[in-house]
Amino acid sequence: MIETIFFEEEIYEHPTTERIRRALPRAGWVPIDRYQELFNKRHQNFKLQKKNPALILAKKYDNFVLPVPSGFGMDSHKNFYFSHMYNCLYDCKYCFLQGMYSSANFVLFVNYEDFFRSISEKIKKYKGQSLTFFSGYDCDSLAFDKLSGFANQALNFFNGLSNVELELRTKSIAIGSLLQREPLSNCVAAFSLSPAQVAKSLDSKAPSINRRISAIKQLADAGWKIGLRFDPLIYTSDWKELYSALFADIMNGLDPERIHSISYGPLRFPKKMYKKAASLHPEHKLFAFPMEETNGVVSYGTKIETQMHDFLKSELNNYISENKIFQCTI
Amino acid sequence: MSEFTDVENNTELQFKFCWVTALRAEATPLIDAFNMKIVENKSLFPIYANEEKGHALVISGMGSIKSAAAATFLKNHLKINDHSAWINFGIAGFFKGPIGDIYQANKVVSKESGAAFFPGLRLSKLIPAAILFTVSKPENGYKEKVLYDMEAAGFCEMAPSFSCNELTYVIKIVSDTPSASSSLITKHLVRELIEKQLSKISDILAEIEILVEEEKKRLSIPNEVIEFEKRFKFTETNKYKFREIYRKWKVAFPSKRLDLSEFLNSQPKEIILRLEKEVLLNVEDWNAL
Repeated sequence: MIETIFFEEEIYEHPTTERIRRALPRAGWVPIDRYQELFNKRHQNFKLQKKNPALILAKKYDNFVLPVPSGFGMDSHKNFYFSHMYNCLYDCKYCFLQGMYSSANFVLFVNYEDFFRSISEKIKKYKGQSLTFFSGYDCDSLAFDKLSGFANQALNFFNGLSNVELELRTKSIAIGSLLQREPLSNCVAAFSLSPAQVAKSLDSKAPSINRRISAIKQLADAGWKIGLRFDPLIYTSDWKELYSALFADIMNGLDPERIHSISYGPLRFPKKMYKKAASLHPEHKLFAFPMEETNGVVSYGTKIETQMHDFLKSELNNYISENKIFQCTI
Repeated sequence: MSEFTDVENNTELQFKFCWVTALRAEATPLIDAFNMKIVENKSLFPIYANEEKGHALVISGMGSIKSAAAATFLKNHLKINDHSAWINFGIAGFFKGPIGDIYQANKVVSKESGAAFFPGLRLSKLIPAAILFTVSKPENGYKEKVLYDMEAAGFCEMAPSFSCNELTYVIKIVSDTPSASSSLITKHLVRELIEKQLSKISDILAEIEILVEEEKKRLSIPNEVIEFEKRFKFTETNKYKFREIYRKWKVAFPSKRLDLSEFLNSQPKEIILRLEKEVLLNVEDWNAL
C-alpha cells in the first residue's frame, strides 16, 4: 500500500494524477518541483527504502523512446524500449534496478500521451519497416497497472498499427486490462519466469510461478500472443531438472501456436552494479557464487553459460520451432 | 567529564540513536527518559550519552548551521557508526493546533536557500507527516500549512552522509500556533509537551531500531575477518579481495570457522587463494536458494 505520494506540481491536474488521487484517497500528497529532488540522490539506501517506497508522480520531457541495446535478442527488427516508470513493486535479488538506482521509490511518468507521440514519430521515421517497442525495461509493465492504467492506454494506441509490435514484459498477474478486451494481434504479453524454487528465493514480492503460468494460460486461451522470458538463467546444481520441469509446467495445456517467442539470457551484471547489489544482499547465495569477471561484466563464466545455452536451446526445441527461440546476451 | 567510557580509545561503541536538539529544554526530557549522562561539556556543543541503551545526544543551539555543526561534532566525538539513526528532535510552530501533537517531517525546505530534503522512511502507522520549513527568524505568521523550525534543513544537509537518508529523521512537537503564541513557550511547557509524547517516541524508536539492526548486520565486519586483518599485513587491494572471498566462503559454509592457527605461516595471497579454491570446489553442489 502506498502511503506517500510526491507529485510535481505541474502535473497535479493531469488525468493520470487524478486517477491515482481517486484510487489512493488516504495517501499523503506532498508537492515537489522535479522528481530528481528526491529520486536517486546520494546517501539513499535502496534496501531500506524498498521497505516502504513512496510513489513519485512526474512529467517526462525527453528520451521517451530509446533503441534497445545490441544483444537484447529477438530478430533483426528495429527495436526500441520505453519506460513510463522507474522501479518496480517487486524486489528480485538479481534485478539491475537496485544497482542502477540508489532509490527504491517508484517514479511514474504520467504524460503517457508524450510517449505515444514519440512512438508515432519513430513509426513515421521508419515507415514500412517492422518495429518492436518494449515496455518494462526500467519497471514491470503490468505490476502497477491497476493504479497507473497504462496498459489500457498503450493498447488503445497500438491497436491496428501495422508492422508495429508492442511487448509488455511482466511478472505480474494483473492482466485485467488485457482480458477485458479483444486480443491485439500486434501485442505480446511476455512473462519473466524461473523455476519455482528459484523464484521463491529470488523474486521477492512477485507472484509465484504457478500464478504466472496460470495468467499465461488465461491470456493464451483468450487469444493473446505470449512471450516466455527466461532471463536471467540461474545456476544451481540441479538446474537442468528445474528448467525441464518449468518448461513442462508451462507447456502443459498451452497451445504452442499462441507462443510468439521465447528468449533466454545468462545472469550478467556490469561490475559496478554487481558490487552494489552484492553489498545490499551480502548474505544471499546468489552473490556468493564464484562469478567470473570479463571486460567489466560479471557472469557465471563461459563454461556454465554455454552449458545452459545448449541445454535450453535443445530442451525448448522439444516444444517450439527454433525460429521462435532467441538468446539475449546483455 | 563523567564516568563514561573513554571514547577516544573505544571503537566499539554502538549508538543506535543520535539525537540533535536545539535547546536544552528539548534535550532534558530525552536525557532523563533514556538515562543519558554528560560526556562532553567543555565545547560549544554539550554531548550526553547512554552507551548501554544506545543513545547519544548533542545540544546544538538555535539555527541551521549550528544544527549541522553539532551533528558533525557528535559523529566525530563519539565515532558514531555508519548504521546509526540520526534524529533532529524538538518543538516547532504549526499553522494549526493543538499544541503537543507530534509529526514526522516528510519534506524539509530551507527558506533561505530553497533546498528541499526528504528525510527518513515514512512511519505512517505511528505518526502523521507534515512538510516543514526551516526559517532563519522565528515565524509568527504561520502563513503556510507547514511546520516551522530553525534547524532541520541544516541537519538534513549533513546527517544523511553519516549513515543514510533512510536513517535520518526529523520529528517535531507542535509548540505554537496562530492561537497559541510562541511568546507563551516556557521551559516547563516544552518539557510537559515532550513528556506527554514519550510513549509515542518509544514506539517510533522501536520501529527505527529494526532498520538500524538490519543495517548493522549488513555492514558489520565479522570478528574472524578483523582477527585476520590484525594478524596479517593485507594491502588495500588484498584486504578487499579477502573480505569479498570470506563473505562468499561464509555463505557457502556457514557452520565453518576460519581458524587462524591453520594459516600461521601463510601469506595474505595464499589465504585468499585457499578460500577461493574451497568456494570453487563447492560449485558442483551449488544451491542458489
